[in-house]
Amino acid sequence: MTEPNRNTAALLAALALLFAQGPASAQLVTRFEAGAVSSSSAGVVPFNAFSLTPDVRYNGRLVDFAAHGSAWLAGNDWQFADGDASATFTSPTRKHVSVQLMADASRAYYDAVNQNDQVEARARVHLIFSQKGGMWLESGVARPWRVAVVSSVDVAGAGAWTTLGDATITGTLTNFSFTRIAAADDSTGTLQSCTALADPGSCLRQSHFSDVQGSVHWEHAAFEVDAQTGYRFGDATDVTDDSRRWASATAVVWVSPEMALVVGGGRQPANPARGLPARNYAHLGAMFAAWPAMSSGAVPVEAQGSGISRFEIAAAGASLQRVQVRVIGVHRVEVMGDFTDWQPVAMVQRGRDLWEALVPIAPGVHQMDVRVDGGKWLPPPGTPTMRDGFSGEVGVLVIQQ
Amino acid sequence: MRRGTHGAVSALLALCMAAPLGLLAQGSDPLAQLDATTRHVVQVLMDSARSEGLPTQPILSKAQEGISKHVDGPRIAAAVRTVFLSLRGARTSLGAQAAPEELKAGAFALQAGIPEGALQGLHKASHGKSVTVPLIVLTDLVTRGVPSDTASNAILQLWTRGAGDADLLGLPKAVGQDILSGAAPGDALLKRARTIPLRPPGKGSE
Repeated sequence: MTEPNRNTAALLAALALLFAQGPASAQLVTRFEAGAVSSSSAGVVPFNAFSLTPDVRYNGRLVDFAAHGSAWLAGNDWQFADGDASATFTSPTRKHVSVQLMADASRAYYDAVNQNDQVEARARVHLIFSQKGGMWLESGVARPWRVAVVSSVDVAGAGAWTTLGDATITGTLTNFSFTRIAAADDSTGTLQSCTALADPGSCLRQSHFSDVQGSVHWEHAAFEVDAQTGYRFGDATDVTDDSRRWASATAVVWVSPEMALVVGGGRQPANPARGLPARNYAHLGAMFAAWPAMSSGAVPVEAQGSGISRFEIAAAGASLQRVQVRVIGVHRVEVMGDFTDWQPVAMVQRGRDLWEALVPIAPGVHQMDVRVDGGKWLPPPGTPTMRDGFSGEVGVLVIQQ
Repeated sequence: MRRGTHGAVSALLALCMAAPLGLLAQGSDPLAQLDATTRHVVQVLMDSARSEGLPTQPILSKAQEGISKHVDGPRIAAAVRTVFLSLRGARTSLGAQAAPEELKAGAFALQAGIPEGALQGLHKASHGKSVTVPLIVLTDLVTRGVPSDTASNAILQLWTRGAGDADLLGLPKAVGQDILSGAAPGDALLKRARTIPLRPPGKGSE
């Protein structure tokens, strides 16, 4: 076998290992947003366009893939705008610790002048205190193209999150460090500090700045709101006045499980590492979500804190039971019981708040638990409960003949 | 460098091949992840249950549950021993003719601390009806903090006066809501029990 073939085989084997988690845990969700977008850089006339924004996510047990893009109709011409593809590996949580590895390739497009591409890799170590909060440390590196940055961008940061009722509050501190080409002197003619001269008129300059950002995600019934605000630390040569502070918000109203109205706007700070200026933006549109069909036989805090608002089980054929859970704003729901030999089975998201699994449960008395986002195993709400002998509880099901 | 790459690829392929084999091995022996002592305890208890004519599945299931919940061996051993003893106690209380599901429900009740006398009371009043649901509801109520004698008397009275399985299965949620609202568990049960329409025994009592 030649060297390239060996490497290909190794790559395929690694992919096989990742996907060997089984189809039971697979989750494919597609979304499509159509609407009007308006944006402007400081002092520039607003740019208005009709935009189409497709979004595809594949959530496996350990690996998630996501891709989204946007295309703008400005005048009579379509313009492919932003695009992003990412893969995230998340390890199972053991003793409150989880590790995330993220790889991302993106294209940013503001206008004909301000556009470039970037690849990025980050690693995060999460410390999860409970389903109510946690924190993380992260480090990574990014490499932009077609921009006056001559080094990789080193990224280091930390974050913390907590839940309060229906809201999740997150705070982050992220530091960026990179080398860029800058003018050798400023507008007053004062010579700038340079690590080296690139040419007589410009120099290589070490830049760094830090972003502190707070964000809130709130979901209740058919409403979702995301809002964030931030402040940037750094000297005047790295941070322009128009990027010291920013704020933005987006509201989503679901008119059906498959369709929502989206409205949002705010100020986006400059991205010096990618040479993108600050801008104001507003958008108004409709979002369409497609959830996977449930094929026959396909299976992937405290009780009040699990967030599960409803649990139902009903016959779905000769030997299958359809287990349904309604819970909002979570990423993973699993069920296990004596009917699965106590092996977790990932439920499939069938709607914004609806998760479902088809499992073979024979008539009789069974014990089971449900887990949300890798948290504590808990009895489903509304079922009789009993202690499990391991300092936890289980729900008891009675499946009639 | 070339040798290093080759080695890494070989190791990765070996890992890929070993992972499914490991899963297969676990599939063939559900107790493979237990330490030798705990595994021995589980196997001995299953043998004992088999020889006494008791169901073995609840014992195996409790061990599997402990494995999935990352419980240490000694606690799993203690839990499966409790399951075995409660199955034995349930059969003593419910009689040799008790169905496997009744034995499981009886074992749940004994694990919750309900005295054997309460099981015997339900068994005597059963007149051939399954005691599975009353025992499960009784277990839930005691788990929620209702005093054992209060719960036993209430369920026995409701059941003998014709309350159906659906009526009884609705009690835990309703009582749980009252407890969350601040009611004492025993009072919550007595209040909710009064709302259940009773039927003459033997008519429409499922």
